[in-house]
Amino acid sequence: MRVISVSLGLAGRNLLLVRRVPSVFIPSLVMPLFILIATAGAFHGIGALPQFAGESYLAFTIPMAAVMGAGFAGINSGMTLARDLEGGFFDRLQSSPAPRLALVLGPMLAAQARSLVTTVVVLLAGMVGGVMPPGIAPTLVIFAFALLFAAAASFWAIGVALRTRTIQAAPIMQLAVFLSVFMSVAYVPQDALTGWLATIARYNPVTYILDAARSAELTGTVIWSETWPGLVAAAALVILLGAFAMVPLRGLGSR
Amino acid sequence: MTAAAPALRQTAALAWRSIITTIRLPQAWFPALFFPLVLMAIFTASFGGAPGAVPGFPPVRGFLDFAVCGAVIQGVLIAGTSAGAAFATDIEGGFFDRLVASPTSRVAILTGRLGASMALGAFQAVLFIGIAWAFGARVQAGIAGFAIVLVIAVLFAAAVGGLGVYLALRTGSGEAVQGMFPLFFALLFFSSAFFPLETMTGWYAAVAAANPITYLVEAMRLEVIGGATPGTALAGIGIALGLAVITIGASALALRRRLRVAA
Repeated sequence: MRVISVSLGLAGRNLLLVRRVPSVFIPSLVMPLFILIATAGAFHGIGALPQFAGESYLAFTIPMAAVMGAGFAGINSGMTLARDLEGGFFDRLQSSPAPRLALVLGPMLAAQARSLVTTVVVLLAGMVGGVMPPGIAPTLVIFAFALLFAAAASFWAIGVALRTRTIQAAPIMQLAVFLSVFMSVAYVPQDALTGWLATIARYNPVTYILDAARSAELTGTVIWSETWPGLVAAAALVILLGAFAMVPLRGLGSR
Repeated sequence: MTAAAPALRQTAALAWRSIITTIRLPQAWFPALFFPLVLMAIFTASFGGAPGAVPGFPPVRGFLDFAVCGAVIQGVLIAGTSAGAAFATDIEGGFFDRLVASPTSRVAILTGRLGASMALGAFQAVLFIGIAWAFGARVQAGIAGFAIVLVIAVLFAAAVGGLGVYLALRTGSGEAVQGMFPLFFALLFFSSAFFPLETMTGWYAAVAAANPITYLVEAMRLEVIGGATPGTALAGIGIALGLAVITIGASALALRRRLRVAA
């Protein structure tokens, strides 16, 4: 029980920093918006490929921007934790009776909370561009994938922060999230990809997350056969990266 | 000996110092090479089906031929931002003050930094086009076309370098200069650097059509994909030169201002 209350407390503190240090949060809000507008605007013409079957490229891009926003929300938590490690707040937490698990779960929950905001922003921007959200159940599916990807990305960033103990590692956190999304079906469906990327995307779990979220966005219904591969991929990422984030906790006392 | 000779020697020495400090700091050169090349590879693999299938896409051998000039411009933008940040670090760290206190030519402080940016821009253009060539892209306009691409890239590197120096002189903070980068990156996306202007619609097309980077990239691109005329080449060189004159002029004024404040 204490794990939950301390995690929520740490998440609340993490979210307070959103208000106090806007230079950290504003970019994570602007980036998914920029990615949505720039991708849908610059590559609008690619929607004419037969693989898109006449779907709006803006609608096709909305799930990718939502997932990317969740990724940024996750990176944010890793950066905040790295700052806490540099500034000594983390040492004080460590010497307090706070459960170790909460030191990872708190920032993760904060990332999830932020990902809800970025997803709302992306969906609203889509509405401004003329794409209505797909109905209640499919919209909830998009939010669910944003929450899961925010958890995965934050676990990754937290794991990097706990190992490197410096904010200088921020580019490592960002690069992995960037590349994992862009080296998937971020811009076109799998059957339009060519060469090396066609192979990488097939083994990239983010491909299945994007496909599932896109199925919800584009069909306006939740088709189970197109959703479960995404859920499996997201769950695998959350579990593996969760382990990556939690392993350094065991060695904490000995430092 | 004329008065220009020491200024030239000092320019060369300061340019060499800028190049050395860039080479020694991986965070200064790695993003300028890595990101444009990775995006070029990802876009080429993602949009390989576009030529011939997307209405309005110019006739081109492959997407890589289309994409390489956008990568060069992107690399020059990243490198120019890092160069501006490095100049700001010189101001923060006191090297700039020592230069000013020494009998160094004031012009060389600017031209040294700009010379380094131009050399790095040329290196990026040669490297990126060489890599694209290795993966099958060809410059349709031949050696002369390649030379024009190089000239535009170098002039644009001078323009971006001038902008970086201007921002460094005005803010005196490396972090502030680096913080401007997302803005430049946005400017790049709101142009035809990555996809043809002819395929864009609505307000996005209007913004890209008003963006000078669009015409800069297209002048370079026509040399690669074919269809360039002396007119398109001159237009590209003219735009790059115009941008360079504006930013370098602004940075010269900013330098004078800073020296006056210091004095």
